[in-house]
Amino acid sequence: MTLAVNTQTILGRPRGGSFRRDLMGVAVIAVFAAAGYILFPDNLALLTRILSVALLVLALDLVTGYCGVATLGHAAFFGSGAYAAGILSAHYGINDPLLMTLGGIVAGAVAGLLCAVIMLRAHGLPQLVLSIALIYLFHELANKASSWTGGSDGLSGIMPDPVFGLYEFDLFGHTAYFFGVALLLIAFVLLRLVVRSPFGMLCRGIKEDPLRIRAMGASPNAALAKMYVISGAVAGTGGALSAISTQVVALDALSFTQSAEALVMLVLGGTGSLFGALAGTLIFMLFEDYVSAANPFHWLTMVGALLIAVVLFAPKGIYGTAAAYFTRRGEANR
Amino acid sequence: MKKTILCGIAALALSSTAYADVIKVGVVGPFSGPFALQGKNFKAGIDAYMALNGNKVGNDTIEIIYRDIPTADPAQSKALGQELIVKEKVKYLAGFYFTPDAMAVTPILKQGNVPMVIMNAATSAIMKTSPFVVRTSFTTWQTSSPIAKVAFDAGVKKVISVVSDYGPGIDAENAFKTGFTKAGGEVVESIRLPLATNDFSPIMQRIKDSGAQGVFAFLPSGPTTLGFVKAYNDNGLKTAGIKFFAPGDLTQESDLPALGDAALGIQTTFHYAVSHDSPENKTFVDAAAKAIGNKAELSFPAVGAYDGMHVIYKMIEATGGKQDAEKAVDAVKGLSWTSPRGPVSIDPESRHITQNIYLREVAKGADGTYINKETQTFEKQGDPGLAAAK
Amino acid sequence: MQTVFSIAIDALAYGMVLFVISIGLSVTMGLMRVVNLAHGAFAMIGGYIASYVARDLGLGYALAVIAAVVITIIIAIPIERLLYRRIYGQPELTQVLMTIGITFCIIGIANYAMGPTLKTIPLAEPLRGSVDLGFRTISIHRLFAIICGLAVALGLWFAIEKTSFGVKLRASVDNAAMAAALGVRTEIVYAISFAVAVGLAAFGGVVGAELLPVEPYYALRYMVTFLVVVSVGGAGSIPGALIACLLLGAIDTTGRYLMPEFGEFFFYLAVIAIICVFPRGLAGRIK
Repeated sequence: MTLAVNTQTILGRPRGGSFRRDLMGVAVIAVFAAAGYILFPDNLALLTRILSVALLVLALDLVTGYCGVATLGHAAFFGSGAYAAGILSAHYGINDPLLMTLGGIVAGAVAGLLCAVIMLRAHGLPQLVLSIALIYLFHELANKASSWTGGSDGLSGIMPDPVFGLYEFDLFGHTAYFFGVALLLIAFVLLRLVVRSPFGMLCRGIKEDPLRIRAMGASPNAALAKMYVISGAVAGTGGALSAISTQVVALDALSFTQSAEALVMLVLGGTGSLFGALAGTLIFMLFEDYVSAANPFHWLTMVGALLIAVVLFAPKGIYGTAAAYFTRRGEANR
Repeated sequence: MKKTILCGIAALALSSTAYADVIKVGVVGPFSGPFALQGKNFKAGIDAYMALNGNKVGNDTIEIIYRDIPTADPAQSKALGQELIVKEKVKYLAGFYFTPDAMAVTPILKQGNVPMVIMNAATSAIMKTSPFVVRTSFTTWQTSSPIAKVAFDAGVKKVISVVSDYGPGIDAENAFKTGFTKAGGEVVESIRLPLATNDFSPIMQRIKDSGAQGVFAFLPSGPTTLGFVKAYNDNGLKTAGIKFFAPGDLTQESDLPALGDAALGIQTTFHYAVSHDSPENKTFVDAAAKAIGNKAELSFPAVGAYDGMHVIYKMIEATGGKQDAEKAVDAVKGLSWTSPRGPVSIDPESRHITQNIYLREVAKGADGTYINKETQTFEKQGDPGLAAAK
Repeated sequence: MQTVFSIAIDALAYGMVLFVISIGLSVTMGLMRVVNLAHGAFAMIGGYIASYVARDLGLGYALAVIAAVVITIIIAIPIERLLYRRIYGQPELTQVLMTIGITFCIIGIANYAMGPTLKTIPLAEPLRGSVDLGFRTISIHRLFAIICGLAVALGLWFAIEKTSFGVKLRASVDNAAMAAALGVRTEIVYAISFAVAVGLAAFGGVVGAELLPVEPYYALRYMVTFLVVVSVGGAGSIPGALIACLLLGAIDTTGRYLMPEFGEFFFYLAVIAIICVFPRGLAGRIK
């Protein structure tokens, strides 16, 4: 089973404009971030949460969208990052947010490597199941190591210092929000470089036809493992951001539910494109927040209806379908 | 942007006067997902209190804003708590079914100048995380300790404890062990099960092999409880005379119809039974049953929410509607009243509720429904969990 | 020795219940190539119907089982025509999105319509109670579940391997265009297979309700278990699914007896080990 997600329409652009597109991407994120800050100054906690989940979904896109690896266990890296950042602060008194983030990145990358070793032994559905088994193992491990992780009560006592010693993490979440936006922008720029590099192209090739890549003399598994490590690091960043901004980490950060939600967001936005991942996260979480506040008792039905509607009317994901539509229009006008 | 849910809209329309304030109370709980029933009970308790006592304190109108957290999710809880305080400008936070959700919000109470009234989350340690927390539910230690004495007095000297491997389960195990060994009994084995256990037959075999005369169990309510109790019967433990002890979460009223005859005779200790015989409880049950729509769905979180609202009303009275968390919490320290569950008071030290714990036995009521029949009362029980944690 | 027997019986019963519920999923995933995460939702619908018929209407267990299967299929037909037909042959991730959406909707509706409490299905008189096997007691219902599992396995194996419908089905799966060209009406074949899969889900939901009680969250709570069992067996293979269920049931049961604290670890480590050795599942078709 291969994941033949149609991405050619998004990716098959002439290469010359890519740098401009990078700048545009950064500009778009910055505009959205500023708009969020100005329009919803009272919702920064939610927006920060969206930022941290966006990092997870971006990371997932790297392996699922670009490499064709189906996984329902990506929260393992998110959670590893969150716990690493949390444990650094709660148990070792390392409260510098930058160091905590670094801890999250490293933990995510290590977890990524660990999982890659196992994940790459199968393909398709069995691979999906491997990822499920892995996320449950991570979850159980965190539950068992309750002296480190606080078990099901959650890890509290995380007290991040002000960023650069200047900006304190406050009730309104200003600092956390800007910190998150900065992390997302950095991650986005780096990932753009990665996916456009020869290595990124190799990964995309593996997704299309691993046999041919092997015939070319490259090792698909080595490349995928590398991508897994990168992806783990990005997800770990998201986890660390979540730990720093909420000052608490619990088992749900490592849960199957979190992984599945991330996958839903990614497919909703459109796989194989960083913008798709961002759009999916933003739309899903805002929608969920809105309907769950409007009707806390029966909102799940609405979310389900959204997912069905997307499959029916925008089968390539919301961003993917929109991008394809504009490309077609552009071609028609030429 | 967000639609808020107004309670008692009709009353509001009739009685709102030009100078009256609206005081918002943010309630966070599991209103959808696997624990939707418990969230529904929160709402039933709150609705019942407001139906009986009106939606106004002085000239101020109380408005409830509900926010949903389907499962324990502290990051989401923190985001919601922040949003409720900053955006919705709530003056009180309440609800909280899961401990981690409550723990995530306590650090921002001080900065937000908002007191929190916990209507369920049952881990002792929450109270230590902020001086602005008051709890009207129970702790697992509080409800699990008396059953140890009950078991010992019933002539059971060797007990095996079986709990789900999560915070409350471990609390229950420790509470029981402490109480039971103190009484002179022996806990021969302590088993911790993964939360996602479907088949309990192997555990029953293990209980049989352990040679214990009784089993102490704690599992989250719902499917796991049902599976456990069924397996206990099907595998012949009941007929073998192995006695079953548990805190009352296990036989919450909303699960009893599903448990059916299998549960008959199980002894539990808990702070509240829907069948509790008192005029206060009758009024409460009538109002709450009306609010929830189906009396069979009524269970213990409703009473926690009902008394939580009582505490919030008292806080509003004391502060005259001003936002002053310290004054509000101080005002209810030592407060005592007659709750549907019996006489209760807020312990000034721990800000946790002191209450009677009842020994109950699952029995068939007069109308053929299953009830928790109260047979013995342990009066004025505090929370032994805080002392044990030190 | 007694304990070993006892565990073996428990493992067999648990494995068979898993088999009855998840075999329908194996059909949809292996033969129709649809990652149907809504499988548990159909099992849940079956459970609700059976509970309503047996408990609220008091019509008896046998009738409840039949009603559950038939009505669930009737409910599923429009869903198949309107929604599933759109995702046949689509990428798996699209199917995941669609079927998760369907699951969410069904959960929401069930919660709204039936309330969040547990629903039980009163058993027929002969199935109640326990029997003494000499070394232990076991509920009669579990023996019934074992028999149901065997019957379903045999019936399906026969239908797929020995009947002309089975031939058409396998042909449609292997090459839909070619089968259609040879006069097989693939749409009908798919619709019937889907109905069978849904019917099996409903049947499993009812028979397994003693172990996996019916409540609104059923559809998500056990989804992972079903998915794991089917994939370990190799989607589409009936003997594979049977072996996987028995094996995983045995590992789970033994783990829970010997080291309940690490029950979850055993189960998932076993899953990882099996897939590492058999990357296509125990009896997966080479594609």
